[in-house]
Amino acid sequence: MVFLNMFNKEKERPTAATADDRLSLVLSYQRSDIDERKLKKFQGRLIELCDEFGYDVVGQVEIRPQSRQRDNTTVLNASIPVRLREEREEEKSAGS
Amino acid sequence: MKQKSVAITVTSGKGGVGKSTTVASVGLALAKLGRKVCVMDTDIGLRKLDLMLGLENRIVYDLLDVVEGTSKLRQSLVRHKEYDNLALLPAAQTRYKEEVTPAQVKQLVDELREEFEFILIDSPAGIEGGFRNAIAPADQAILVVNPEIPSVRDSDRVIGLLESANLDQIDLVVNRVQPGMVKDGDMLSVERVQNHLAINLVGIVPEDRRIIRSSNTGEPVVLDDKSMAGQAFDNIARRLNGEDIPFIELEEPTLISRIKRIFHIA
Repeated sequence: MVFLNMFNKEKERPTAATADDRLSLVLSYQRSDIDERKLKKFQGRLIELCDEFGYDVVGQVEIRPQSRQRDNTTVLNASIPVRLREEREEEKSAGS
Repeated sequence: MKQKSVAITVTSGKGGVGKSTTVASVGLALAKLGRKVCVMDTDIGLRKLDLMLGLENRIVYDLLDVVEGTSKLRQSLVRHKEYDNLALLPAAQTRYKEEVTPAQVKQLVDELREEFEFILIDSPAGIEGGFRNAIAPADQAILVVNPEIPSVRDSDRVIGLLESANLDQIDLVVNRVQPGMVKDGDMLSVERVQNHLAINLVGIVPEDRRIIRSSNTGEPVVLDDKSMAGQAFDNIARRLNGEDIPFIELEEPTLISRIKRIFHIA
């Protein structure tokens, strides 16, 4: 039975890939060097900037630092759901 | 004509990755190549290089004695038993890192430049005062890293600090690589580590039991012909010396490859 179990035994998942993913993440945060307060302030400025250019922010602003190995830099990915203000105003007037 | 001298700080951030082993081995390998080498221990309070080189019984004065004027630089240098073109400037063992400043270390290294072609500086672990002392006089740095997350993360932090110190070159040594574990997918490959850190690779050193033996005997592995790690350190020295040396094959030999080698089949 022990002999048979040797063949049935599930092979453990290699851990280097997990380490690689974890490393990408920890290096991203380390390289971004952005604290929470700074990040919130940055989000606020992005919303202001959108407003200035005629966009309304209609959802959660997300900023994700990502490390770029090619040149050892951090890329800040910002996701900002917006809608053009003019369009919305037109929609409102059409509705009324 | 005055010879060209280069000061290279060997650092890591994380402790226990093999900085002192690298300094002792590469230093001795450069001396074997006929270069004039000084290895300098800046880990005040926790010196190791003297043990790695088997010179612990020959120390009379140390780095702090020179800085404080108790001894002359020449008196504090400990010559290697076999290669007298290799000298050690030991750190003080019963003092504190705060007792010396980066400017003083820089001045000391400038004096060493008069005699030596290579000055290898062994940095203490961490990124505090001792680290700042070690990088102040450096022209170049070698970052020693183990293929594991804590070591790579600390090294990444150190690279940022080295870059702000405006060094000419920052090279990477990946130490304690276990090819079998890499093959099984349980250790980060050298390629992955290099991709994350994005600096020039100057050496790949395999895990080697002979390293423990060498620190027990005080004879760096470059003196051991059978040591793979010794060969890897020797190659690093040759690259620093300007030679174009390919990286050694770390794959553990299989039975078939051994048979092929016996019968000289490629």
